[in-house]
Amino acid sequence: MSTIYMMIPATLLIAGGFLIAYIWSVRNGQFEDTTTPAMRILTDDKPISPEASDLETKN
Amino acid sequence: MTNVETFKYDNRIVRAFAIATAIWGLVGTAAGLLIACQLFYPDLNLNTPFTTFGRLRPLHTNAVIFAFVGNGVFTGIYYSLQRLCKARMFSDALSWFNFWGWNGIIVAAAVTLPLGLTTSKEYAELEWPIDIAIAVVWVAFTINLLGTIIKRREKHMYVAIWFYIATAITVAMLHIFNSLEMPASIFKSYSIYAGVQDALVQWWYGHNAVAFFLTTPYLGLMYYFLPKASGRPVFSYRLSIIHFWALIFIYIWAGPHHLLYTALPDWAQSLGMAFSVMLVAPSWGGMLNGLLTLRGAWDKVRQEPMLKFMVVAVTAYGMSTLEGPTMAIKSVNSLSHYTDWTIAHVHTGALGWNGFLTFSMLYWLFPRLYNTKLFSVKLANYHFWIALLGMMFYVVPMYVSGVTQGLMWKQFNPDGFLSYGNFLETVIRLVPLYKLRAVGGSLYVVGIVIMLFNLYKTCKLGKFIGDETVQAAVEKKAEHAEKERGHRWLEGVPLTFTVLATVAVIIGGLIEIVPMMLVKENVPTISSVKPYTPLEVMGRDVYIREGCVGCHSQMVRPFRSETERYGEYSKVGEYVYDHPFLWGSKRTGPDLHRVGGKYPDAWHYNHMENPRSTSPGSIMPNYPWLLTQSIDTNALPGRIAALRKVGVPYPVGYEHGDAQKDLVEQAAKVLIGFSTGSITNAKPDAEIIALTAYLQRLGTDIKKAPAVTNITTTAALTK
Amino acid sequence: MSEAALNISALTVSPDNKSAAASCAHCGLPCLTTAVRAHDKDFCCTGCQTVFEILTENGLTQFYELSDKAGVQIKRPTRREQFLFLDEPAVREKLVDFSDGKTSRVTFTVPSIHCIACVWLLENLFQFKPGVGRSTVNFPKKEVAIQFEDAKISLSELVALLASLGYEPTLNFGSLEGAKPKPAFRKLILQLGLAGFSFGNIMLFSICLYNGLDSLGTLNFKPLFGYISLGLALPVVVYSALDYWRSAWTCLRQRILTIELPIAVGIVAIFAQSCYEVFSRTGEGYFDSLCGLIFFLLIGRWFQQKSYERLSFDRDYKAFFPLSVVRKNGNRDETVPISALNVGDHLLLRHGELIPADARIVSGEGVIDYSFVTGESEPVEKRAGELVYAGGQQTGGVLEVQMTKPVSQSYLTSLWSHETFAKERNDTLDNILNRFTKRFTITVSVVALGAAAFWWAHGQPNVALKAFTSVLIVACPCALALSAPFALGTAQRLLGRQKVFLKNQHTIETLAKVNTVVFDKTGTLTAPGAAKVEFHGAALNEAEERALFSMTRHSTHPLPVRIGEAIAKQHFPETVYSFLETPGKGMEARVANQEIWMGSASWLASRNVMVPTEHQSRSNSVHIAINGAYRGCFTLQTSLRQDADKLIAALSNDYDLALLSGDNERERARFGDLFGARANLNFNQSPLNKLGFIHNLQQSGKTVMMVGDGLNDAGALKQSDSGVAVVENIGAFSPASDVIIEANNVPRLSQIMAFSKDSVRIVWVSIMLSSAYNFIGLGIAASGKLAPVVCAVLMPLSSITVVGFACGATHWLGRKHKLGGKQS
Repeated sequence: MSTIYMMIPATLLIAGGFLIAYIWSVRNGQFEDTTTPAMRILTDDKPISPEASDLETKN
Repeated sequence: MTNVETFKYDNRIVRAFAIATAIWGLVGTAAGLLIACQLFYPDLNLNTPFTTFGRLRPLHTNAVIFAFVGNGVFTGIYYSLQRLCKARMFSDALSWFNFWGWNGIIVAAAVTLPLGLTTSKEYAELEWPIDIAIAVVWVAFTINLLGTIIKRREKHMYVAIWFYIATAITVAMLHIFNSLEMPASIFKSYSIYAGVQDALVQWWYGHNAVAFFLTTPYLGLMYYFLPKASGRPVFSYRLSIIHFWALIFIYIWAGPHHLLYTALPDWAQSLGMAFSVMLVAPSWGGMLNGLLTLRGAWDKVRQEPMLKFMVVAVTAYGMSTLEGPTMAIKSVNSLSHYTDWTIAHVHTGALGWNGFLTFSMLYWLFPRLYNTKLFSVKLANYHFWIALLGMMFYVVPMYVSGVTQGLMWKQFNPDGFLSYGNFLETVIRLVPLYKLRAVGGSLYVVGIVIMLFNLYKTCKLGKFIGDETVQAAVEKKAEHAEKERGHRWLEGVPLTFTVLATVAVIIGGLIEIVPMMLVKENVPTISSVKPYTPLEVMGRDVYIREGCVGCHSQMVRPFRSETERYGEYSKVGEYVYDHPFLWGSKRTGPDLHRVGGKYPDAWHYNHMENPRSTSPGSIMPNYPWLLTQSIDTNALPGRIAALRKVGVPYPVGYEHGDAQKDLVEQAAKVLIGFSTGSITNAKPDAEIIALTAYLQRLGTDIKKAPAVTNITTTAALTK
Repeated sequence: MSEAALNISALTVSPDNKSAAASCAHCGLPCLTTAVRAHDKDFCCTGCQTVFEILTENGLTQFYELSDKAGVQIKRPTRREQFLFLDEPAVREKLVDFSDGKTSRVTFTVPSIHCIACVWLLENLFQFKPGVGRSTVNFPKKEVAIQFEDAKISLSELVALLASLGYEPTLNFGSLEGAKPKPAFRKLILQLGLAGFSFGNIMLFSICLYNGLDSLGTLNFKPLFGYISLGLALPVVVYSALDYWRSAWTCLRQRILTIELPIAVGIVAIFAQSCYEVFSRTGEGYFDSLCGLIFFLLIGRWFQQKSYERLSFDRDYKAFFPLSVVRKNGNRDETVPISALNVGDHLLLRHGELIPADARIVSGEGVIDYSFVTGESEPVEKRAGELVYAGGQQTGGVLEVQMTKPVSQSYLTSLWSHETFAKERNDTLDNILNRFTKRFTITVSVVALGAAAFWWAHGQPNVALKAFTSVLIVACPCALALSAPFALGTAQRLLGRQKVFLKNQHTIETLAKVNTVVFDKTGTLTAPGAAKVEFHGAALNEAEERALFSMTRHSTHPLPVRIGEAIAKQHFPETVYSFLETPGKGMEARVANQEIWMGSASWLASRNVMVPTEHQSRSNSVHIAINGAYRGCFTLQTSLRQDADKLIAALSNDYDLALLSGDNERERARFGDLFGARANLNFNQSPLNKLGFIHNLQQSGKTVMMVGDGLNDAGALKQSDSGVAVVENIGAFSPASDVIIEANNVPRLSQIMAFSKDSVRIVWVSIMLSSAYNFIGLGIAASGKLAPVVCAVLMPLSSITVVGFACGATHWLGRKHKLGGKQS
């Protein structure tokens, strides 16, 4: 069963990685607002014709 | 400097993957249909090596999982990720490398598998050069994914993105660990693990291939495309987040349940069982969240086929995630395992969850890519109903067949004998159901053809927009530092400390491991179990090449019904030289672990030439070429050497010395065996000789065993 | 693209669909007389038309496809000038979250955010003006955070832009307080996640161990798994349980006993015991139980932290007062922030504006509505030279006043300098749990020591130690700690669904204790909007009524407006000619060739109309003259809220009742009948009187609930044990309180209090339930043979049953008290 010795560290490594990711995301405030993001994705970006793509100069 | 940026979404790559998805979908399911028919009409094996069931089955599974679903995943991710991040993919070069690389790999698979180049490990059949290619392409994809996320313009990472990340990272790790193998030649390798260990790793991978290749990415897609298609936010975004983390924190462990009642130790089995059962909660969290999103929008569901597909997909997900854990319960598993129930289970997932969700996505995507309407909603609706019917016709017969066979195997008559002592009886009983299944399959394929037509017409209808120009305001970075300062530090200290502490202790734990890994491992082994002889090794490789493991298990479970039928149940110690393990996961034919010495050599000769000559009504293909093709003795040295490297104790230099001699001598013995069976015209170096030698050896060592003692062999990893 | 938008929108209306009554192409409201037609679309007002044009020229018409009735009606046109004061460094620096000189970020509260389209539009703000950067909407909070470049756009321009789109942010005196501190939310879910992670992973190893890991010959997994479990448990003990360490420490320092102490002790015991077992290789420890325990406890806390994003339970007058006011500076008017006002400044108050500080009228006629400030139900008329009080609302014409007191020391606002507002009521310690904890802890320590002593006496010191620790382990009151949060938390949520919002769970316990209820009159028992309108004199005929109705539509004075509402019926407004309103006196106009005068008796008299004597004395009346002839008068009488009487009746059985009104004695008789003899009714109460009154009641050992709505009740609400603030609609201003309740819920108050009482009973039952588990465990533990697996089963089992019971029973109660389901 020595493969256990390889699987446990491997899995713990991944799991640990996700834990870090979790910690990051919480401190980054990813979960402060759990309503708006779900609404936000419903709206598509306003497409602009490539010609007018120099809009930021207009801005 | 402005705070508004103009950039382009890359739709070309999305289209490329989408088209690939659609086409591979047809190929994969068609291949499935073909082998399904072979099961009741063996002549469809066409008597060529390349089209036999054993070789096409892995082609089917690979085509569906990696070609169809794989490309589907990429399609969905490349479309949604750009929009969720408000950024173009990190690197176009990587995107296209990902596309051509991945599909190149699939083509390679489509070529090598029929040629019999396989490792025989389920969902990981591809040989080592392709394995390396997969690793490379996957890493490229991961970089592309993470790169895009890093340069995103939207601060919040939508839950789908988390699912994508989980997929990328985990699949990479699983693939690499499971594919550790020792090359014997350019297209032949042996797993570095033996027997039980190989099985453990394989199913740790096998399960998570399901978990992280067929589930997590698709949940991500569901959380993006379902709200998009229904025009309403996901029922509970918070739930989706909890659902993700719960899944991530426990899913990874649930592997070993695929090996219940095998020689795997109890605790590992119970573990797999416990965790699979625990998984119901998070899985259903996802399903309910999906369905509840549509509450109040059922009128829309009636109108829009893509929503119909979505609903069925999510429901199928719910069903199979409930069924899976159920099957992981030992008592259920003792009935369901090795039967068509398993087949039914995976197809609920594949046809329902993956298939329907992919169709839904494609129907939604193409009109947008081509800035037009779907060519025909009516056709899409036809597709839906046909596919649904197909699914039913597929799954239901498989359940019936699974339960029927499972019960027949276990049934004893009053005198205490097996009611169906002849395995063949239990197979013939299933043939009608196999025919029904084929009907279902063909309906499903027809549906896909309709879809292809519909999508093609849609493309013709509209004008493709390769680069979609959009604008987004970017966040000025200065800010974070500013507002986070203060209480972050306070809370930072204990947290950082604990994280460090954990790392430290885990490292400590690993240090604890290393010495243990170096000590000799005491697996209860059996003195009489010896490595395979050169001829048997060649025979075993034929067995692997022809994909026998697809229909024949080599694992007698500790039930009276099985010991009665096959002989003594299998012991861990019997597999110590099996690189790779060949336990199998389905018994379309009988278990072979105790077949050694059961029949005379000649019987195997005839049986291979035409199974029906020895077992009337058998659905096994003919293998005439085994009688004509010669054993590739040149390959022998490489293989012996490779096997020694992974721990089989062949004397050093054996392959250059006695190996060939031993092979010839044993071959001669088998030839004599043939002739005693009045087969005189046998080709003296035919592969059938090697195969027969192997089959006759199977499971016989233990019979010679005087007593079980403990001899020490070194753990695979110490090599 | 519009295709796409069409498909993704759940309820889509194409902008130019004509329903029977043309609805506004922007805001979707029906187009009335003021309607305009442009771009072959109908608009309810020019405001909406303007917004539509802005959107069109910026190519953002997709907005209308995103959802029905997407637009917000523009109430009153806004000019940039009125926001100029925002650019003043003092104000600006207070308002922006952050600025690095080049870019700044500001967060506004925008009440009119209401749909996906709003989110989309506000997050595409950068499309409108150069310099506007990334904007992020927080929908539940109705907030938008906007980054902008100082060089290209000023704060005032930004606000003007928002206002021009119908998203005028709320700016009040309170906005200057700066951002409020973040809740401990992040930390909690970090701790929770960490615990969950370790729990899940450790269980993996534990399950192996429980299933005879060592079936694997001599391969030694046990110690290894032990170490890994330890490694996973360590962060949980140190970080996730941090708050328990802290509170335990405070307990020890302050010599008090709260539930956290035994929990902390339990955790220590488990951890120590487990470490010992791992290091001594005698066992695998209880790490799974440990992490599970902490995990469940934290879930409890998470459940406890129910906060209503749009509500604030700690508002003071600053949130009610405007941010700016127009000040006369020589001969020019300037908009200045209230904070910049000084005694002696001359201020201009337009109709509907709030008086920021006590002042003396210089010129103009004041018609001041004090209902919210003093509780006087009727607007009072003030002349030049008279004093007006801060918080009053000018309902007449333009008024010029001179400040006599600084904002913070005015008649009303000085209330907040009372010490009641200084001290923060510390109610977290005295709660059911802690009261029970005392007995519990004592019992446990006795058992623990007893067990230890017993085994020691029998010469088995090692068993003694084991018994001692394991008693502490099983006695760790996890389930106990969960009982209250889940029972009360569920109750709080049920009430929340009924638009009854509690500051925190503890409020329920207080509600259950209350034995005296004190009501404010105006706005609480009486409904401001709903006054009973009667006409005295010969009944009006159809034509007259219609004429009067049409006329009232042009007035802004509260009385005519209410009369208009009262006689509206099906009348279609007629055209009104030469309308002229003399603020605070009356109005005149020609309708259907009739000269109509409408106003106070004195005003009519001044136009030599003879007002009959029987009508002259009537308080609160509007007199009508048509073509110079007296026609009769309307009287308005404030009416009780629906079912208010039923409420009083219900309460008077088991509670002492009292009435505190800032209004005059006029209605004493009426409320006398209502409250019955026992209650004591007090009128002409100043905010401070009210506070004092409550205080006295408490001195006499009463637990008091104050029900009020206005700023004048703020003191009383704060002083009372549970203050209930009544609001007409959620999100509107309410003074600091423990409960915020929608006006139409006032009659259900008795129901709510009964419900609270029962919920507290539920808590007791679940406490008993959980302690039952603890004592089962104690039995096993004291005998010194507590297997980890037993612990691993007992702990979650008890927690889950208790939680299940608490939630279930409370829901059942909710149905019993008819609180189930959503309120439509």
